[in-house]
Amino acid sequence: MRYFTKQQGQKEAVPVDLESLGQDRYRLTVNGKTFQVDALSVDQGTLSLLVDGQSYNVEFEENGDEIGTLVRGQVNRTDVADERKLRMRAAAGSFSVEGRQVILAPMPGKVVKVLVKVGEEVKEGQGLVVVEAMKMENELKSPKAGKVTEVFAKEGTAVENNAKLVVVE
Amino acid sequence: MPKIRKVLVANRGEIAIRVMRTCKDLGIATVAVYSEADRSALHVRTADQAYLVGPPPSRESYLVQERILEVAKQSGADAIHPGYGFLSENASFVRACEKAGITFIGPPAAAMDAMGEKTRARANMIKAGVPVVPGTTEPIGTIEEAREYAQKIGFPIMLKAAGGGGGKGMRRVEGLGDFDSAWRSAKSEAMSSFGNDAVYIEKYLEKPHHVEIQVFADQYGNTIHLNERECSAQRRHQKVVEETPSPILTPELRAKMGEVAVKAAKAVNYVGAGTVEFLVDVHRNFYFLEMNTRLQVEHPVTEWVTGLDLVAMQIRAAEGEKLPLFEAPTPRGHAIEVRVYAEDPARNFMPSPGKIHALRVPSGPNVRDDSGVFAGFTVPNYYDPMISKLSVWGATREEAIARAKRALSEYVVKGITTNIRYLHGILSHPEFVGGDYDTSFLTRQHTELLGQEDSKLSEVALLASTLHAFQRDQKRAKTLPSRSGGGDSGNRISPWRLALKSRRR
Repeated sequence: MRYFTKQQGQKEAVPVDLESLGQDRYRLTVNGKTFQVDALSVDQGTLSLLVDGQSYNVEFEENGDEIGTLVRGQVNRTDVADERKLRMRAAAGSFSVEGRQVILAPMPGKVVKVLVKVGEEVKEGQGLVVVEAMKMENELKSPKAGKVTEVFAKEGTAVENNAKLVVVE
Repeated sequence: MPKIRKVLVANRGEIAIRVMRTCKDLGIATVAVYSEADRSALHVRTADQAYLVGPPPSRESYLVQERILEVAKQSGADAIHPGYGFLSENASFVRACEKAGITFIGPPAAAMDAMGEKTRARANMIKAGVPVVPGTTEPIGTIEEAREYAQKIGFPIMLKAAGGGGGKGMRRVEGLGDFDSAWRSAKSEAMSSFGNDAVYIEKYLEKPHHVEIQVFADQYGNTIHLNERECSAQRRHQKVVEETPSPILTPELRAKMGEVAVKAAKAVNYVGAGTVEFLVDVHRNFYFLEMNTRLQVEHPVTEWVTGLDLVAMQIRAAEGEKLPLFEAPTPRGHAIEVRVYAEDPARNFMPSPGKIHALRVPSGPNVRDDSGVFAGFTVPNYYDPMISKLSVWGATREEAIARAKRALSEYVVKGITTNIRYLHGILSHPEFVGGDYDTSFLTRQHTELLGQEDSKLSEVALLASTLHAFQRDQKRAKTLPSRSGGGDSGNRISPWRLALKSRRR
């Protein structure tokens, strides 16, 4: 079985070949390197992983296609897709910061300020909207340079987690 | 004075639970108050009684004095413990409690008044002979006067809200060029945070340490100090890590600062637990910064090294008991506290409220976790992002650091993002380990503290994520009905849909 993975900061998806050997054992090949892994699911969302005699306790958290892991205090976010999903997502233009970017509210809160208008050209990292949550103001920035094509955020209104705020193309 | 039988805790989160625990230890009944956002909160379930006080915003619930007093009467509470924040330093509330015949577990209103407004506190301290940071003792009227004064004492300077706290209305100004804009924003922030736009000026000390002294007084004028806490690991003037003893204090300096702190408390006839905050400069000169007239977030580290229960002492002092000890106990070992926040350090510390899906709290020898959350709890959007305080004790500073790191590595919070890894980064940083970090430490080392990725762990994460996706897909394949198989689950049209179709026709 082949999966395509992308960790934060990576540009290209990396193929990972996975073969089940039975009894919680697997063989995984990444970039020509092969690992024999013993992966025991100890409870929902926790995996005890033995790789070359090293023991890792891995905690998982799923957010859509993204899989968050906590290993020895390190948090990683990995996008994992199989071949079918990869094709679908390539068509939808996701899996990259190219194309249409919808900026979503990262937490529930209140829109304090909208910093851009429809039609405005923005730079990568430029502030788009200020959302207040837990008594703190947070500026949400543009992930890419482009043009603001839609603005959903309204000053003074409450927004839920993942509410659409701005679209940059 | 009669013994306290029932305490209303006018607060939420970890501090409400902390206070209730001691009440229970002492055989005192407890009453919780809660907002509509906190019905499921742990403090409500920990208390013997609980009453709704209003809608989620604290201004309409936890801060409504009349409503809190009404609940006190209704529940038969004879005392109120305010925790920290909310009404804990509100002199008018203390007076209202007094009028209603309810014991306020904290200092008298007059002591709060004397220390509440920072410029007044400075003036009182100068009068009492306590060293203060050079600056104005009065709020400054006009921007021209302010500019002139700033030039006189020399840049950099700090602008500070007179009624302030928590870093709001505070600006560091490097020179004349950015003075005007800093002045305007400090004033507007002070107005919106404290309803008072009075701002004063202080000389900015280079590389200062924030060292505070815990003081304690009974109603008979007996006042002691309980040693210091080093609180220089701060971000946006909010403390993140605290420890005691301070790695930069000698026994002589500790005795001297303790003496001055006691003098400061005595000057305002203080009663109960309070904290005198100082800035210590590179030459180990120390200056009074402000006094917090309440129990503080970081009180557990003092409890670790003194073996005292500060909440129990507060209750006994409010009942009119005499202090159980008359001099500062010698610090025993070393304690460190880290504040676990619902925030994402990697995304500029963006708050992360939401539902906690899973929670595993560290334990083991000499580890204490004061928390207000549980698995399944939704951290509300309305309050401070601090969700827990992890504190540890060690025989030495090295042991305490190692234990704090061990405890952090056991901590698992799922569903929301926390600063746990960032805290680990602070405790591992050479500057922290070396013990001479000043208040600019966290800002200066920001990128480094976010932590370099360990490539081996990233590789493990990649393998684990792929395995997780595979196991998930396998599970789904087993539970989903087959699309091509026989039986009734194939591509046949449901009888419900046929019925609907024929009706539409």
